[in-house]
Amino acid sequence: MIYYFTDEEINRLIAENKNYDGPIEDFLRFKESEGHKKASLELPRYDGSMFIVKLRQNKNAVTDFSAILAYQEKGANQDFKLRRYNGKHEHTNKLEKQKFFDFHVHYATQRYQDAGRAEESYAVPSDRYSDIRGALACLIQDCNIRIEKDAQTSIFDNL
Amino acid sequence: MNINISDIESALKDKISREISLKEEGVNRFRIFNPYEFDDGDHFSIFLKKENGHWKFTDEAHTIMHLSYDMDVSALKKEGTRQKILTNIISNFGLDEYDGSLSIRIESDDFGSAFYNYIHALIKVTDLSYLSKEIVRSTFYEDFRALIRETVPEERLTFDFTHPDYDKEGKYVVDCRINGMPKPIFLFAVPNDSKCKDAMITMYCFNNWGVKYHSVAIFEDQEQINRRVLAQFSDIGEKQFSTLLSNKERIKEYLSERIA
Repeated sequence: MIYYFTDEEINRLIAENKNYDGPIEDFLRFKESEGHKKASLELPRYDGSMFIVKLRQNKNAVTDFSAILAYQEKGANQDFKLRRYNGKHEHTNKLEKQKFFDFHVHYATQRYQDAGRAEESYAVPSDRYSDIRGALACLIQDCNIRIEKDAQTSIFDNL
Repeated sequence: MNINISDIESALKDKISREISLKEEGVNRFRIFNPYEFDDGDHFSIFLKKENGHWKFTDEAHTIMHLSYDMDVSALKKEGTRQKILTNIISNFGLDEYDGSLSIRIESDDFGSAFYNYIHALIKVTDLSYLSKEIVRSTFYEDFRALIRETVPEERLTFDFTHPDYDKEGKYVVDCRINGMPKPIFLFAVPNDSKCKDAMITMYCFNNWGVKYHSVAIFEDQEQINRRVLAQFSDIGEKQFSTLLSNKERIKEYLSERIA
């Protein structure tokens, strides 16, 4: 695994202010791709690493989507998923032996990395959103992404 | 300890059958709850649908969308390893693929066989994401750095060197600069086409800035580099080693002579 982060490091990355002051139309430009729409935005950091916001919306099912915040080191071609706001499907938290069928948020955790599983394998059901607009709004709010207010309105108009 | 095989058999059957259930979601469309998961704990999204009088299992494009979290799924349609693997899976398991949706038609009402085939195929498709992770996990860069450190004194090395005056943003990176001689050596570690092009651009930039240097490129496996890219690279690059692993001694010998 090219990344390993403690819970403290993960929290620090989430809490870090992520400002976006570029053109609105560049924020999330959707493209068609293999049965879904996708968009991504890179938010560079001071040391050449970056945060990446990725959106995926299944064209066949409105409740099948993902809004992701990832971190990527300079020069790497693989990222670390800090948070993922998922649509509605079945999920199992292997370590806790919890299974549910609902909208849910994936969290990167140290204990799942220690167990040799994908970093964002732990998830919690959520009733805060029911579509990708709501999921992105939660991601922006929870992960400290700062955008001009007008810009946010326009972003959501594009979804 | 007495083992009652029939009890074990019942327990297994009970466990497996309990994990499968159907829920109606629309006309002639049923979600299949199942125990099969991606590596992040999300279960496969599988639907049983009747279309044009025929039943089929389909993922409604969920599997490939899930893969897209980690990889560029357009690679599945371009000629290359991933495309070959996907084409083989589709062909070997009798799947249909349309706009990202993977489905299997149920013949002669044999739902069970079709389901097993389908699950087997989806598991193989999800393995495609490991392919990209394995590439990332390659130890090439680590091996490259270790070899250089073994051969050249640390104080003469600058890894990830960028020009302090001409390139303040650090866009054009030399993997390692060896200093302490009239013309420094710029070392490039080249695992793939993309890096080969980047190294080429970096060399052109340094040439334009009038920086004098000797370039040395060490490929992970030169045979994997696109012929055209390699030809372009050879026009500007000086010394090249076709692989790192099988040339370690020659690389050490070459660098030792140059830095003496």
